[in-house]
Formats: sequence, structure tokens, C-alpha cells
Amino acid sequence: MSGVILFLVGVVTLAGIYAILAMILNLEAGWAGMWDLGLAGLVAVGGYVFIITTQTTHEDVIFAPGWPMWAGAIAGSLAAGIAALIIGIPSLRVRGEYFLITTLAFAEVIRQLSINLGTITRGTVGFNQFSRPFEGLVSGSGYRWLLLALVWAIVLLVYLLMRRLGHSPYGRLLRGFRDNDPVARSLGKHTNRHRLQTFVLAGLMYGAVAPLYVWFIRTVTPSLFTSEVTFVTWTALVIGGIASLRGPVIGAAILLIVTEAAALAQGLGEMAVVLASVRFIVLGLVLILVMRFRPEGLANERDAFANASRRVEA
Amino acid sequence: MQNIIFGLVTGSILAIATVGFSMIRQTEGFINIAHGQLLTLGAFLGYFFVATVEMNVFLAGLAAMVLVGLIGVLLAIVVFRPVAKSGPLAQLFTSIGLAYLLFGLIRVIFGANVTFFPTGFGRRLDLGPVNVTVGEILIVVVAAVVVGLLALFLTQTRLGTWIRATASNPELARLRGIPVNRVSYAVWFVASALAGLAGVMVGLIGNVHSELGWTQILIILAAAVLGGLGSIYGVLAAGLLLGLAMDLSALIIPTSYRTVVAFGVLILGLLLRPQGLFAAKGRREA
Repeated sequence: MSGVILFLVGVVTLAGIYAILAMILNLEAGWAGMWDLGLAGLVAVGGYVFIITTQTTHEDVIFAPGWPMWAGAIAGSLAAGIAALIIGIPSLRVRGEYFLITTLAFAEVIRQLSINLGTITRGTVGFNQFSRPFEGLVSGSGYRWLLLALVWAIVLLVYLLMRRLGHSPYGRLLRGFRDNDPVARSLGKHTNRHRLQTFVLAGLMYGAVAPLYVWFIRTVTPSLFTSEVTFVTWTALVIGGIASLRGPVIGAAILLIVTEAAALAQGLGEMAVVLASVRFIVLGLVLILVMRFRPEGLANERDAFANASRRVEA
Repeated sequence: MQNIIFGLVTGSILAIATVGFSMIRQTEGFINIAHGQLLTLGAFLGYFFVATVEMNVFLAGLAAMVLVGLIGVLLAIVVFRPVAKSGPLAQLFTSIGLAYLLFGLIRVIFGANVTFFPTGFGRRLDLGPVNVTVGEILIVVVAAVVVGLLALFLTQTRLGTWIRATASNPELARLRGIPVNRVSYAVWFVASALAGLAGVMVGLIGNVHSELGWTQILIILAAAVLGGLGSIYGVLAAGLLLGLAMDLSALIIPTSYRTVVAFGVLILGLLLRPQGLFAAKGRREA
């Protein structure tokens, strides 16, 4: 029984992590209109830089400065921001589906580099010996609850931040040039500069979230940062309702609980491969059905910003 | 020299896979991520026909092609037709959903193991500085013949003309009385069949496994964008170019960087010529 509860705690924690990713994605894709299919790459940069800079043993790697965790997290975030800048400058020259493909390409390049630069990243072996914050405070299984609380506290924090951003003039500007770029430009807005800024901001945030993902999974290998991360985040956002406020959180919670439910029964020996595949089938079916019957998602943009105009008048 | 041969083989297969992808993009108006899974399906069906049914490789390839083509039409009717009016974003995500659905189903049916075609490559021909197997020549020849037939089909038959008309202006095509539905099914059949063929070829030169679709779709996307999505010949050239680039790069850097090279070429291409290598018109936004 306690095993089931601990499993559910894990699922809810992972849902929280995806809720944060989906909210960041909502900022750049939902509001600023940049369909980014490369977020897994930025999470990878954040995660790898965090884990490499906080490593203390030089075993198999040439670089292990052993920084404290907070410094590693900041470094990871900055590195992801810089990566976003490098990706953004060429990618933002093209729009729509070309942007989408270019970002996907960059994410794959990052993943391939993480596999091939073995002397820094330990290749496909990756890292699995590292400490996590506040580990001394609670005993083994209690740590899962602590991580759950930590993740959902950050979910709340990011949600409040996003609500603030969404209603701010900046948020209106993003949605404005998403819908009509020439009008925004004619009003003297530097839309391209704002796009790049938003892309880099999202990159910094993806990098900052990465340590949570790493602490939850407890290993860092290239296989953690495949485009599956990107697609699951996108699915969560699309189910919840793109460009809405609560949508990303609702979508991530529903999606993760539905897909991970299949894993509950996974202990059944030879059925393991089948059940692991069922996860993908469920994920695919959910996405197809939502697109067909509720393409605007569960929550929607109109409701989220229904009071926006009134608030301005008041 | 040897790498040029490998590059040609890879490039021909890539060109076949990308042409189908690009046809869907042109006439249906969205990026079909599930195209990679149709390719995987082709590889597994081809393997099934050769290994279990013990068919001749050519017959098996043909059977896999037709079957994947029919599955493509079926998916178009059941999955894509209902969301056609919801715009390219909904269609794109439907195709991602379908890709996961197919990926899961393929793993349930065929398992997650890596398998090899039990087919030899035939005699090794010694042509001075290079070695070529009969199988490799056959792949390039089949690819060339298929592309030639496709070009004839698109330019010389009435259905082909309809497809090109629909691709360049769907509204106008409808107004002129072209049966848009029939055109759409024809495109789905041809495009999926080409994906199936490419899958069989990928399986023949390498191995067959369930992750095939995800790795292939990335390279297909790169080739499609590099070629400018629109023009069939542009996409063919881009496919060949990427294939050559990937295999020639193996001379100076480790082969594990193949995909990185493909995307490096793509990123370079976008920076130098954002409208695509061979696109006549500017890129339309999604």
C-alpha cells in the first residue's frame, strides 16, 4: 500500500515539473507565438551544466569544479539562457513551422553532443552519484514528500509570476505581435527584439527548472532529454489550453496521471515492454482526441483574460 | 570514394522518404510527424514478409509499400480528415499524437528488439578504388526509377496534374472542379507508400528497430526544410546532399556525429538562404 502511495507521490511530483515546463512553454509559444520544439535541449543544457559544475570527483571526467548547489543551478540557468540566445538568433529569422523544425534540430544537436562529448558528460553512462538538497533533513522515503512540496511550491511561484506577466503590458505586447506583427511594429514596438528576449527568458527558466528534473529522476543521461520531453510538455499545454493561464497546470496534471497509470501495473514481468508501450499509445490517443473534440484545450485564452480590459479601465 | 557510394545510398533513401513528406506538406498543408512512423511500419512489414512469410525481397518491398500506402489513406480518413478545419497547429499535434500511437502499437506488435533483414547484399563488385555490392546499386537504381515514375505520374497523368494544381492553390483547384478528396487520398497513398519503401530500404542497409521513426523524421525534416518544402526537385537534391554530407563527414569526424552534421548543414542553409535552397517563392508562414 505504501508503495502505491509513494508511486503516486512520484507521479504528482513529475506532473508538477511538467506543469512548470508547460507554463514556460506557454509564455513563449502561447503568448509570444514562437512554436518551440527544442525545449528539451535547453533543459538538457541546464541539467548538464548543473550536474557537471557540482561534481566533486574527477572520475572519468576532466572538469569537476565541485561548486555548491546554488551556484550550479545559477550556472545551469545562465548556460541555458546563453544557449537560447545562440539558438534564437538564427532560428528567429524564420517563422512558423520553419522555426519549429530549426529548434527541434538544435535540441537534437545538443543531445548528440551530450552523447559524444564523453570526457565532459560521461557519454551514455551519465551521472548517477550526486547529492540532492536538504537530504540530511529527512529519511529515505520521506525525501519524496519533500521533493513533492518543493516542486509544487515552485509551481505556485511560477504560476503567480506568469499570471502577473500575462496581465502586464509586456504580456499584452507578446499576444499583440503574435496576432498581428505589422500592427505592433507600426506602434513602434521592436517585435523581433522582444521575441529574442522572450526566447532567452524562457531559456533561463528552462535551465533553472532542470535541477528539479534531475533530482527527481536521480540520474543524468542523454536519454532523459529526448524530444519526448518536448512533446509531453506540448501535449500538456495543448490539452490544458494554449495561451490560457491555468491550462498548463491542469493539462500536465491530467496527462501525467493518465499516462503513468499504465506504469502502476508494470511489475508484471514479461508484460513490461507491452505496458511501457501502452504509455505511448495513451499519450497519442489523448492528444488525438483532444485535438479532435476540444482543440482549444480545457481552459482557454478568452476566459483567462476575460477581465483584462475591465481591469485596465478601472 | 567509398563514402561517396554510402552517401549516395543514404541520400537516395532520404530523398524517397522526404518527397512523400513534402507532398503531404504541400497538399494537406501541415507537417506530418507520423511520416517517420509510417517508415518504421514499412521496415517492420518488409522484415515480416521476408523473414516470416519468406517472400522475395522485391515482392516484400512492394507488398510493404502498398500496405503502408493503404494504412496511410485509412489514417487520413479516420484521424486527419476530422481535424482538417481546425488549422495547421491542430493537424500538427494530431500527427504527433498519431506518431506516439503508432510507435506504441509497433512496439506492442513487433517488440522493442533490434532485428536484421535475413537478406544478403549480393556479390561485392570491385570497381578500382571502390567496392560496391549489388544490393547497394539496386537501392540507388530502385530509388531513381521510383523518382522517375513519380515525376512522370505528376506531370503526365490527369491525377498528377490535379495533385500539382491542388498543391499550388487548393481553393482555385476546388473552384475548377478538381475532386479535392480524391486528390487528397491519392497523395496520402503515394506519400505513405514512399515512406514504406524508404523504411524497407533503411532496414536493408542497417537494421530494423522501433526507434527508427524518431531518428528518421528528424533528418527528413532537415532535408525538407533545406529543400524549401515546396519544390519536389529541391527536396530530392536536398536529400541527396544531406546523405552525402553525412557520409562524407565520416572521413574527418566520428560517425556518431552524423545527425549533428545533418543539422549543421540545415542551420547553415537557413542562415545563408532562409527561403530554402531551391524555393522559387518566399517561404509562406504556417
